[in-house]
Amino acid sequence: MKLSAIKPIGRVLARELAVTALLLLGVSVVVFAILYAAPGDPLDVLLGGQSPRSELALGMREALGVPRTWYGQYAAWFGKMLEGNFGNSIRTGLPVLPELARVGVNTLYLTLGSLLLTLAIALPIAVHAAAHGDTAGNTAATVVAYVLSAVPVFWFGYIVVYVFIHRLGMFPLISGTAGRQPHAWLYFLVPIFVLGTASGTLSEMIRHLREELSRVLAEDYIRTARAKGAAVWRHAFKEGFLIPVTEIMSAKIPFLLGGAVIVEQVFNWPGMGRMAWQAAQDRDYPVIMGIALAAAAFVRLGNLLQRVVFTAVNPRASRE
Amino acid sequence: MTAMRMRRYVQAPGPVGEISELPLLQRAETLDRVYVGYGLLVVALVFASYLLGAFGWLPHDPQAMNVGLINAAPLTPGHPLGTDFLGRDLQSRLILGIQAYFLPGLLAVAISLVGGSVLGILAGYQGGWADTVVTYFDNLLDSFPRLVLILLVIAAFKPDIYYIMVVVGVTGMPVIANLIAGKIAFLRQKSFIEAAHALGLPARTVILKHILWYNCRALLVIQATLGMAEAILVETSLSYLGFGVQEPTPSWGNMVQAGANYFLQGNFWPSTAPALAILATILGFQLLGDGLNNILEGKRRR
Repeated sequence: MKLSAIKPIGRVLARELAVTALLLLGVSVVVFAILYAAPGDPLDVLLGGQSPRSELALGMREALGVPRTWYGQYAAWFGKMLEGNFGNSIRTGLPVLPELARVGVNTLYLTLGSLLLTLAIALPIAVHAAAHGDTAGNTAATVVAYVLSAVPVFWFGYIVVYVFIHRLGMFPLISGTAGRQPHAWLYFLVPIFVLGTASGTLSEMIRHLREELSRVLAEDYIRTARAKGAAVWRHAFKEGFLIPVTEIMSAKIPFLLGGAVIVEQVFNWPGMGRMAWQAAQDRDYPVIMGIALAAAAFVRLGNLLQRVVFTAVNPRASRE
Repeated sequence: MTAMRMRRYVQAPGPVGEISELPLLQRAETLDRVYVGYGLLVVALVFASYLLGAFGWLPHDPQAMNVGLINAAPLTPGHPLGTDFLGRDLQSRLILGIQAYFLPGLLAVAISLVGGSVLGILAGYQGGWADTVVTYFDNLLDSFPRLVLILLVIAAFKPDIYYIMVVVGVTGMPVIANLIAGKIAFLRQKSFIEAAHALGLPARTVILKHILWYNCRALLVIQATLGMAEAILVETSLSYLGFGVQEPTPSWGNMVQAGANYFLQGNFWPSTAPALAILATILGFQLLGDGLNNILEGKRRR
C-alpha cells in the first residue's frame, strides 16, 4: 500500500471509531429501553410476587442500592458493563461475558464460513453475467439462486442432514461440542453449507455484485483501458470488485447472524444463536441482552472494516 | 462528525430520467414478466386462501384428527395433500396457516412504509441536522440482527406475533427511508423541488403529491412486497423456533417443526408440504418486488 494512503485511513479510522462508539452507546440505550419498558421487575422474582410498591420492596431496593430513576439505573447498568460485568445468567447462574466469549467463537466460525461460501458461489455467477450479459447459463444460475434464497433454512437443514449424513454417511453425526472424534471437523462443514446456501443472501449478493461490476465495466476509464489493450480486469478490480464485495459482506453480517439462530437450532450447534433461543425461552434477560450487544458489536466491526477498505481504495472518501 | 449514509443493497432507485416512453409491458424483459406474473399469481392465491381461511371454507376441519390415517401421502382419497402426524388434513391446515402471517405481515409492512417515508422525507426534504439524525438512527437499527432483536423483545415482553411484527416493521424502516431520501436527492438535482416551490405550492402538497405519490409510489409498492416476504420469513422462522403461533393452531413454521420428527425416519411429506408453501410464497413476493423494480424503476440489466 502506498504511503499516501495511510494518512486518510488513519483519519477515517479515528472518525469511524468515534461513530462506532456512539452507535454502540445507542445500541445499549435501545437494549436498556426495551428491558426497562418490559412488564415485571427482577425484584418481583426476588420477592416472590409481592407488590413492588410495598414497603418491603422499597426497603429491598434501598438495601440493594437500586437507583430510583431510569437514568440512574441506566448509568449503573452501563458502568457495570464497562467493567466487563454483564451480569449472571438467571438460568445457570454463570457470568454472561465468559459464556458469550466461549460460544461466540462457534458462531463466528459459522457466520464467517457461510459468508465466504455464499461469496464463493455468488462471485463466479456475477462476474460471468457482468462480462457476458444474459446467457442461458447464468440466467439459469440466477433463477436457481432466487429459489435457494427463498428456501426456508430450517427445512433445508433437515434435507442436508438426511441426504448427507443418513443416506450417504458422509459426515459423522455428532454435535460440534464433541471434538475428539477423528472427522469431527467435517461436521462443521454441514451447518456452514446450509447457512451459506440458503440464508437468503445469495440472490441479493449475485445481483449486487453483478450490477456494480457491469456499471464499472461500462465506465469511460475501462473503455480507455480496453482501447489501449491494458488489462481490463486490473483496472476494474478496485471499484468493480473490491468495494462491492466488502460492502455486501459487511451488509450481510446481520442477516447471517439472524440465520445462525435457526441453523444452530437445527444442528444443535453450541453458539450464540442457540444461546439466544434458550435465553428467550427462559426469559433470561442478562443473557439475551449480552447477545444483542455482542451481535451489534460484531455488525459494527464488520462495518468499520468495510469503511477502512473503502478509504484505502478511495482516499477521497476521507475528506467527505 | 459526518454521518455515513449507507448505500443500500436492496433496491437502489434507478435514474428517473431514463425511463422510456414505451408502454410498461413492451419495455419489460421476458424474465421480468415471468417474475411479475408468478408473483401476482402467488399474491392472488395467498389472498384467496386467506379469505377461505377467514370464512372457514376449508375442505376439512383442520383440527379433526384421524388416527387411522397418520402421515398419509399426497393424493390420498379425500386428502389431496395428505395428512399430518395426527391425521389432520394438510391442505386445510396449509390454508389456515396463512392466518398466522397475513394480518401481522400487513401491519409490519404498514409500519415500515409509514415510518420509513416519514424518516426519508425528514432526511431528504429537511436535510441538515435531520439528515444526520436519521442516518444515525438508520445505522443504529441496522446494527441489530433482526432475529436477535426479536428474541430480546420476546424475552422482555411475551412471544406475541404483533409485538414481533412491530419489531419487523421498525427494523424495515431504514431501507425505505434511505431509498426515499435518495429519490429526493435525485429530484433536487433535477431542480424538481425548487420548481414546485417556485410555483408557490405548499410544502404539504410537494411532499405528499409530488414526491410521495408521483415519484415514490412504485418504490413503496416494491418495498411493500419485499417487506411482506420478510414478514413471512420471520413469522415462519419464529413459529418454527416455537415462539410464534402454537400448536394446535397451524402456522407453516410450526408445521415444518411438527413434521420434522418424522423426517429422519424417511417420511418427508408432513414437513416438506409447508416448507414448499413457504418457499413458493416467499419466492413469489420477492420475484414480484424485484421484477417490478426492474420494470418500474428503470433499472436495466446489461
